Amino acid sequence: MKKKKALDKIRVADFTWWGVGPYVTKLLGSMGAEVIRIESMERIDPIRFAPPMKPGQFSVNTSGYWNNFNPNKLSITLNLAREKGIEIAKKLIMRSDIVADNFTPRVMPKLGLGYEKILEMKPSLILLSMPVMGRGGPRSNFSAFGHQIAGLAGLNAISGFPGRPPSGTGNALSDFGINPYQASTALLAALHYRNKTGKGQFIELAQYEATTCVLEAAILDYTVNKRIQGPMGNRHLHAAPHGAYRCKDEERWTLNIRLTEQEKKALSPYLGDPPWAEERWCAIAVFTDEEWRGFCGAVGNPSWTEDRKFSTLSKRKENEDELDAHIEAWSRERTPEEVMHLLQKNGVAAGVIQNSEDLMEKDTHLKEREFYQVREHPEMGPVTYDGLQFKFSETPGEIERAPLMGEHNEYVYGKILGMPEEEINQYTVDGIFM
Amino acid sequence: MDSEKALGDIRILDLAGPMGLYCTKLLADLGADVIKIEKPGGDPSRWMGPFFHDDPHPEKSLYWFNLNTNKRSITLNLETVDGRKIFKKLLKTADLLIETFPPGYLEKKGLGYSMMKEINPGLIMTSITPFGQTGPYKNYRAYDIVGVAMGGLMFFGGSPEDPPNQPGASQGYHAAGLSASEASLIALHHKDMTGEGQYIDVSMQESVANCLMWTMPFYDLRKAITTRDGRCVTSPRPFPRISMAWYDLFPCKDGWVVGHGVAGAFSGGLEAWDKLIDWMDSEDMAGDLVEDEWRVLAEQLGDAAYLHTLMVSDPEGFTNMVAKKDHIDRIIGNFLMTKTKLEIYDTVQPWRIPTTVIQTIKDVVKDPQLEARQFFVEVEHPELNATVTYPGMPYRLSETPAKIRRRAPLIGEHNQEIYESELGLSPTELAGFKAGGVI
Repeated sequence: MKKKKALDKIRVADFTWWGVGPYVTKLLGSMGAEVIRIESMERIDPIRFAPPMKPGQFSVNTSGYWNNFNPNKLSITLNLAREKGIEIAKKLIMRSDIVADNFTPRVMPKLGLGYEKILEMKPSLILLSMPVMGRGGPRSNFSAFGHQIAGLAGLNAISGFPGRPPSGTGNALSDFGINPYQASTALLAALHYRNKTGKGQFIELAQYEATTCVLEAAILDYTVNKRIQGPMGNRHLHAAPHGAYRCKDEERWTLNIRLTEQEKKALSPYLGDPPWAEERWCAIAVFTDEEWRGFCGAVGNPSWTEDRKFSTLSKRKENEDELDAHIEAWSRERTPEEVMHLLQKNGVAAGVIQNSEDLMEKDTHLKEREFYQVREHPEMGPVTYDGLQFKFSETPGEIERAPLMGEHNEYVYGKILGMPEEEINQYTVDGIFM
Repeated sequence: MDSEKALGDIRILDLAGPMGLYCTKLLADLGADVIKIEKPGGDPSRWMGPFFHDDPHPEKSLYWFNLNTNKRSITLNLETVDGRKIFKKLLKTADLLIETFPPGYLEKKGLGYSMMKEINPGLIMTSITPFGQTGPYKNYRAYDIVGVAMGGLMFFGGSPEDPPNQPGASQGYHAAGLSASEASLIALHHKDMTGEGQYIDVSMQESVANCLMWTMPFYDLRKAITTRDGRCVTSPRPFPRISMAWYDLFPCKDGWVVGHGVAGAFSGGLEAWDKLIDWMDSEDMAGDLVEDEWRVLAEQLGDAAYLHTLMVSDPEGFTNMVAKKDHIDRIIGNFLMTKTKLEIYDTVQPWRIPTTVIQTIKDVVKDPQLEARQFFVEVEHPELNATVTYPGMPYRLSETPAKIRRRAPLIGEHNQEIYESELGLSPTELAGFKAGGVI
């Protein structure tokens, strides 16, 4: 029997590009929606050229970055700079349930695909638009990328260490997590509403606004208490110890990195000399008295743990630097894995600060849960995808490899839109399908 | 049915701690009837600061206020037999149950999914845990910092001189909660179509591991490890970030700006470059960047395909390019130091140079863009004699707008409404349960 898919029969006309939009539709695709990415050789998604690629592979299809965020999709090429292209896009929209874009607000209306018009054509459609700043307002047409949005939204101001540059999370977190999840939450709520009433609607997610929603009480702390929260390092109002603790370094003579000879030459100034010391760290968090007792037992109840200055949370907060120094003297002698297992055995929350190698190779837990998924790609060979973070008992999702550019022209134009072969060939020659 | 709420016909039982509070908040804001089940005396999350006027009190937690809007609250002790009996009654009326207990906890109480399904066959149950319901670490404990550590986000946050950094405001909890809200609604659609409920296992670690941008592809295809380098977007070692001029964090007169290239393919191109150089030149700060040579370079630096080819075909030319990029950045950087962040932001954005500023929380609250869009909302707190300004909704739905209709509930505020009016318990029964520590 064919596996049941939760979003079976839902078709998404996907006009998104870059990070945030394709991530939304990736999530829908993995749960069974038919997602059709509308691309064009005239306006290639820059992520298709973004690193990494395997050495010696360079094409619109070989970016690992692009592939990871576009599994389970179909890809067509359609030139929206041509009137005929727009006409065909409209036909596809008419056959879809969801339409998504993440352009600045001027783009879709300029293409003749403004939401009012589309909803008039098909009132049951759910439209998702994700402009950075939102429609309206003095900075409506400003543009920005995920890591910049985090800075704007205040996330960088409350991350990092006091007195240090506000470098934020080290990735475009709002694009790869926060906002795609929020956007899909809205989309799916709208889908439920449509199931009940038959009515579609327009959803606008301004990426900047949506990112300010995940700051916990930072906004209220200002509007109520006039306190401007700043970075806390790794500390927490209600916990001590709480932080990253340095463990035993790992020395490596070889960097396990895949470089061509030319790249090695080009990158030699950045490689440095062996051996490379690999810093290893473990995160530890102690909130309750019970956890503190567990912690003391785990480290062998040395005399400092009995010192009165560490006996209560408020005292540990007062003497936190000293506390951290004691703990790091202990953790520095151990691998982070040892620290984690030992503390967990004693009921203390602790976890290795894992890097990509740890995640993909060493984490036995993720392995047993079969989190990472390898799929064969026609140009790249085996490619590993991030798996799904939720397991459904009745309608499990799955990962299918990302499409080649324009791979599904024939299927979409022929089968979905019912165009005869000659017409498809003609539009291909005419540069409409490019 | 209230036609203006997307989830107006849905009832959710909320047995969630910090990992799931944002999930149920979003669903409540979208119109679901979310019943927060607190233990008698109040949920432990009520003791999370900061507090209203810094007065620590379970009815004054701003943390709680923010994450429990629109919910109703009942107190119920699941450790008692009567408590579980009442819970089962309530369960019959629910579409969704969202919980964050350690794996096996509810099962042990006789409230596992298989039992609940018998009472309510269409039930969707979403369990959010640090590591999921299966696997060797399933019983490991985690707070947010352990989630972002094990999920791979923390390793590349911050600068090499500092320890790895936990992002602010519990992004591991947010990733898990948001994954859960999405998953629950996917299951709801399936239920709409087929009537079938199901069980969903959400892992915080895996939710975080899905937020790593290009980190895993870089490891997969190149065995390169993304390491913290003090930038907003860190480069996987040893690949240097050469892609564009004015990329990432730059200090300015009163703070920081974050660039994403000047003449790249996604900015105003050379026209933008010319405007920037003219601006700098008008204050005699453009140096030799006025020369045509740099104009050509600026364009090349915006072309990822060109740079990639250069790196593999002409290592020397590539090294040279990096040095030239540094030169451009030095001159632009010196100029930015003479301007305020808003001067820079409002001047270059219309030229389509995608630059933003690092805003403090105060900047965010005072931002004219958010003000013009009426993002912030006022919420009444009659018990505190106060009107509090809240951040608005992450999205705007044209037909069924999500919104804050009501402040977070007081402890057991809806006991009477739910136990008496909806479940039909008598006042005498209620009094008995209260005395017995059940509610």
